[in-house]
Amino acid sequence: MAELQGLGAITHELEAAGAEILAISPDPNERSQQLADGLRVKYRFLADTDLTVTRRLGLVHQGGGANGEDVPRPATIVIDRQGVVRWALFAHNVQVRPDAREVLRAVRGL
Amino acid sequence: MSAPKLAAAALALSLGTVGAYAGLIAALSFPLPPAWYLGALGFAAALALAAVWRARRWLTVSAFAVSALLLVAAGLFNFVAMRVPESRPLVAVGQPVPDFTLTDAAGRPVSLSDYRGKKPVVLVFYRGYW
Repeated sequence: MAELQGLGAITHELEAAGAEILAISPDPNERSQQLADGLRVKYRFLADTDLTVTRRLGLVHQGGGANGEDVPRPATIVIDRQGVVRWALFAHNVQVRPDAREVLRAVRGL
Repeated sequence: MSAPKLAAAALALSLGTVGAYAGLIAALSFPLPPAWYLGALGFAAALALAAVWRARRWLTVSAFAVSALLLVAAGLFNFVAMRVPESRPLVAVGQPVPDFTLTDAAGRPVSLSDYRGKKPVVLVFYRGYW
């Protein structure tokens, strides 16, 4: 969840630019949604409980979880209206957040 | 600056940096950028080393021990524990993303293709609630 904070500050700008933010994690959705409501950020949370989609996109950090379970590799991907990737960040370090201004610039450029 | 003052400054900077990291995580779930805390801890260790250089006393030596230990621990934390190994993303700039369907918090199915021709999408993959 901490990883969503970087974009939290620009959610409204992203919405104003017409973009939808889909946040994907293996967590059950209710917890994520409760948390987002608490933070007042407008994400649409999608549960990838068994990491099927995450795995299909090559974004699994094997054994990276607290108990050695597989977790998603933190990633931010900007997709245009045609479904084509226009900007992407694949984290090499859990602490790294995408630069909110870069994401916004990528979305506004679409 | 006198050796005890240098040692005290080093200790304050070291412990303050660790406190700032923990405080920022607790309050905003946001980590202090690694370059900042490694820089601050490195500077603190250098201050403590200067203090030891000027006067080798228990205060200066222990300040150096504490700041050097925290610097090494922070380095291991950043470069080993927090590192994400390279995966082979099957997503690349300029390429289409394969469609998928997942359920949202209300249990409704959502497909990436629902937005085709309508809205840009920002996909955020994250590890979960922690």
